[in-house]
Amino acid sequence: MMPRLRVSCAAAPETVEKVSTIVRKQLALAEETQVTGETKFAELGADSLDTVEIVMKLEEEFGVGVEEENAQTITTIQEAADLIETLQKK
Amino acid sequence: MAALWRSKVPPNSPSLEEARKRVFEFFKLASRSLPTVMDIYNLEDVATISQLRSTISAEIRKNAHIKDPKVIDMLIFKGMEELENIVEHSKQRHHIIGQYVVGRQGLVQETGAKDQGLSPFLKNFYKSNYF
Repeated sequence: MMPRLRVSCAAAPETVEKVSTIVRKQLALAEETQVTGETKFAELGADSLDTVEIVMKLEEEFGVGVEEENAQTITTIQEAADLIETLQKK
Repeated sequence: MAALWRSKVPPNSPSLEEARKRVFEFFKLASRSLPTVMDIYNLEDVATISQLRSTISAEIRKNAHIKDPKVIDMLIFKGMEELENIVEHSKQRHHIIGQYVVGRQGLVQETGAKDQGLSPFLKNFYKSNYF
C-alpha cells in the first residue's frame, strides 16, 4: 500500500498547476525555474506587493473572494491552492 | 458616497507597518474595482484586467522607496481620489487609455522610482547646460 503523506484536504493537482502558471506569469519567471507546491513566493523574487498582486489575480481567475486574515497566511503555492479550494467549496 | 469618503480624512498611520497595510488595502480595493472600470469605459479591446492591475502596482512601486508614514498616507489619499474619479465616471475613455494603458510603452511616466535610477550625468544635464 502506498504511504500517503498528504492530508486529504489538500488541493487538487490541477489547481496547484493553474496557480503555478499564474505565479510564473505574474513574476515573469524563466521557463526552467522549478516551481513546486512548497515554493515560497519570496524565494521566487516576489516582494510583498507582488504577493498581494498574485492573490488578487487568483481571486479574479477563480472567482473567489479572499478575506484579510486568509490573505496574510498565504506564503507558498500549496497554501494558495488549498485556500482557493476551500473558498470554492463554499 | 464619494463626497463622504473625502470629507473624513482617516488619521495618520502611527507606524510604517500600518502604512504598508493601508497600501495593500488600497491596492486590493483598486484591483476589485477593475472589472467595473473595464465595463464603464469599454476597455475590453485595448487592455486586460491583468495589464491594468500591473499598471497599478507599477505606480505603487514607483514610490516604494518612501519611508515616512505621513507621506505614504498622503500618496494613498491621492490614489484613492484618483480611483474614485475613475469609478464614478468623472473621467473619459481617452484619459484612462492615455494614462494607464498606452503609458506603459515608452512615455516618461513609466520610468522607475522617481529620481532613483537616474545617472549623475542625467541629473546634471537636467539641471543646467554647463557641467
